[in-house]
Amino acid sequence: MSKPVVHIANLNLWYRQKAVLQDLNWIIYPSENWLVCGTSGSGKTSLAKAVAGLIKANGKIEINFNPEASLPPVIHYTANWYQFKDLEGQSNFYYQQRYNKQSTEVTATVRAELQGYGEKLGLDFEEALAIVNQLCFSDLVNSTLIQLSSGEHKKLQLIKGIWLAPQLLILDQPYNGLDKQSRENLNRLLEALAEKGTQLILISNDVEIPACINRFAEISNGKLMEISDEERISERDEELTVKAVPDFLRESPIPTFSGSVIKMTDVSISYGDKQVLKNINWVVERGEKWLLQGPNGSGKSTLLSLVCGDHPQAYSNDFSLFGFKRGTGESIWDIKTRIGLISPELHWYFDASATVWQSVASGFYDSSGLFCEPGSTRHGQVNELLEYFGLLEQSKVLMTELPLGKQRLALLARTIIKNPELLILDEPCQGLDQQQTQHFNKLVDGLCKNGTTLIYVGHFEAQLPECIEKRILLENGAVKSVESLLEAV
Amino acid sequence: MSNYFNTLPLREKLNQLGVCDFMDSSEFLDGIDALKGKKLVVVGCGAQGLNQGLNLRDSGLNVSYALRKEAIEGKRDSYKNASENNFTVGTYEELIPDADVVINLTPDKQHTAVVNAIMPLMKKGATLLYSHGFNIVEEGMQVRKDITVIMVAPKCPGSEVRAEYVRGFGVPTLIAVHPENDPEGKGLLQAKAYCVGTGGHKAGVLKSSFVAEVKSDLMGEQTILCGLLQTGSILSFDKMVEKGIDAGYASKLVQYGVEVITEALKQGGITAMMDRLSNVAKIKAFEISEELKDIMRPLFQKHQDDIMSGEFSRIMMEDWANGDKNLLRWRAETGETAFEKTPAGNVKIGEQEYFDNYTLMVAFVRAGVELAFETMVQAGIKPESAYYESLHETPLIANTIARKKLFEMNRVISDTAEYGCYLFDQACKPLLADFMKKVDTDLVGKNFNEGKDAAVDNRSLIEVNEAIRSHEVEVIGATLRKAMTAMKAIKTA
Repeated sequence: MSKPVVHIANLNLWYRQKAVLQDLNWIIYPSENWLVCGTSGSGKTSLAKAVAGLIKANGKIEINFNPEASLPPVIHYTANWYQFKDLEGQSNFYYQQRYNKQSTEVTATVRAELQGYGEKLGLDFEEALAIVNQLCFSDLVNSTLIQLSSGEHKKLQLIKGIWLAPQLLILDQPYNGLDKQSRENLNRLLEALAEKGTQLILISNDVEIPACINRFAEISNGKLMEISDEERISERDEELTVKAVPDFLRESPIPTFSGSVIKMTDVSISYGDKQVLKNINWVVERGEKWLLQGPNGSGKSTLLSLVCGDHPQAYSNDFSLFGFKRGTGESIWDIKTRIGLISPELHWYFDASATVWQSVASGFYDSSGLFCEPGSTRHGQVNELLEYFGLLEQSKVLMTELPLGKQRLALLARTIIKNPELLILDEPCQGLDQQQTQHFNKLVDGLCKNGTTLIYVGHFEAQLPECIEKRILLENGAVKSVESLLEAV
Repeated sequence: MSNYFNTLPLREKLNQLGVCDFMDSSEFLDGIDALKGKKLVVVGCGAQGLNQGLNLRDSGLNVSYALRKEAIEGKRDSYKNASENNFTVGTYEELIPDADVVINLTPDKQHTAVVNAIMPLMKKGATLLYSHGFNIVEEGMQVRKDITVIMVAPKCPGSEVRAEYVRGFGVPTLIAVHPENDPEGKGLLQAKAYCVGTGGHKAGVLKSSFVAEVKSDLMGEQTILCGLLQTGSILSFDKMVEKGIDAGYASKLVQYGVEVITEALKQGGITAMMDRLSNVAKIKAFEISEELKDIMRPLFQKHQDDIMSGEFSRIMMEDWANGDKNLLRWRAETGETAFEKTPAGNVKIGEQEYFDNYTLMVAFVRAGVELAFETMVQAGIKPESAYYESLHETPLIANTIARKKLFEMNRVISDTAEYGCYLFDQACKPLLADFMKKVDTDLVGKNFNEGKDAAVDNRSLIEVNEAIRSHEVEVIGATLRKAMTAMKAIKTA
């Protein structure tokens, strides 16, 4: 047999006095493409980063590139998190920033970003444009980085990795935030890349994967175990043990208004000549459970930003929230106090220097980071909910020190802590494993029985709460359809 | 127009300089009530104008923008900023007559022209809001007696005013009411409501006066904030190059070092900054900063004297009238310095290395902050005001240097700060010539601890710590910082 490309023996990695990887062994031979799955916090990202040489671990990691291959002898790691800086090298952004217009651009355009990257690595820009096309990203080439949604940032990251076509490409959660069509397009691109000789390591718990994946593994208890394709898909229907929801979340939210929750009449949003939302008419009544869907770039985030008081153009539209017309003396804090929001952008821009406890408690005040002393009742509620999410032990840990899945759980707790009248869950389960997702959706079903109004965004049909009863579908900034899902059943 | 401060009797001068009240959060329970339903018209739409306006509108206030006709017709940046965020934009003639509050956020240099243009259009009993008192105090602008004149000055760049607001917090803010223009006694209520509108009430509000704000702001910006950071940076760079340190390394150390060092200052004052050094280095930095304080004290005092007497404003306004002849010459000279022309090298400098290899800058910062603070307090300015205009703002300017180096830093700060910075720099460099001759690379460029015995004498360390910690700027700083600890750290390096 030929020499392994990656040879890992007795790999050990500790984090905060806890073993993450323990005597892990893994051999990757030429022409193998691996999928690695595992529950949240099992060490998938740590292993990927160790292979890519980005973090230190004890043990043997030997990499043998093929000296004869034309592909660059490097490992490229496409992280599960994206980062960018403004033109002055800072990254002090806030999630609403993409909706506030400034005449002078503070971040580079996608084109400039890609050109800079290509120049550094000696790549042909024309090739990048081809990949851009295949990921339906062409319209965004002249956008600035701050304007991109999380799904669009993910695509930009993926474009960079595929364009480089390294000998070994590690993709950590590549499907996060991508719509169905984009996921398929990505799989085709990865298959073509494997054809060219790039070996893939995919870190994902998703079901649909490229056809070129031919080895499967799962990380558990710090070790990597090879599994079969069938095991990967089938084994996870273990019984859900549902914990009792804390009492303070079993009460119906106290109504603070009368009338419709949302009433939009011909709402339109444009940036210059570009129309992002076109004549949206949408009414959400109290207690309704909505699914909001549409491909990447169809205007979902913009629509939700209007509802959350995050979009300046709300003031020039005919649009009522919680019974009052926007721009009649209400403050955005009057709006936010009734909403529990989670979105990929909220997570990305959240104050990472806050502790888990502070982050959850900040949900009472709709702030990113905690600036008040919550008092003893709320103190107890935060602890109860942390216990429910299995995070009590980590309450004093900084968000930035936790794996993404755990961070997400903390932010989900933040979303519901005040038992809000309206829940806006924009891809709430991104980065969670299947069991955590089922768990959370069950919790949402429970909350909604109390009369909570729900707007849910999810790209994965199989991972939705049961309580959903209506669907609004966006396409190119317009409402394509509104339907009741209950009748269809 | 004549200098307002100089028209006052001594008793009243001291009275106004001494206005200083760190307000309790219970003072803001009425929220935005005093401005609710009123028409707020902002004049100018740069970074402060736009971001304050976005916050005010999101707090439920009615905000629009009055711009000059040429700015609207030429679709200049200010016009785009306002209109693309869906604000009503109009000319002075269209919007000012209906305004209940006119918010002047144009650059200092334009204030006289702007206020002369809008005052005749303002309705009886309206309010004029400034974010800096120069026009009123130094230029002596006389505002119509029926108009209320107030000041609300967020102590951070416009972008942060917005970022902290949407996070659910705010930035520290200074407010004042002009005693000559408060005919209905509503000035303070409106200023407080404005703070709630911008979110400033969550991060600490200092009630000051126009006089105290101007005299302390000018002093801080020209001595410690811009002046000394500029002088210290250039001298440090030149010294390293003279001693054979790689120029790229020297450039990077100077560009980013001051930001890393003053981040500690921001979080825990001089004490925290000095504590980042080893014990030996701390004692050394203490000694040389004492020496620096003695050398520079007369210069700091001269700047404060000229600010108090109005001499500084007089010569600066002469230069304004002269087409900025001196300012532009000095600005060009800054652009020609070796530091400015040497790009930061592609070397990695660790966070601790910025302290260990740049002990000299730690000493400069301590000396400058303490001297500026002491000189202001001696001149009758209250410690809280002096703190904001010295220690509090130092990390903000340092952040600008990290992003833009000195030439651009000077271009983005206020007109008054830039002029004062050059004046200070010109005088300070020769003053430090002898001192700099003694400086070697252990203080700047190389690790101070290298090859030195780490042992220190207990008693001298205790003495040094005691001197640092008991300084008045540390005592008042601890109280004021408590109110704003939640602000997000800014980092570039």
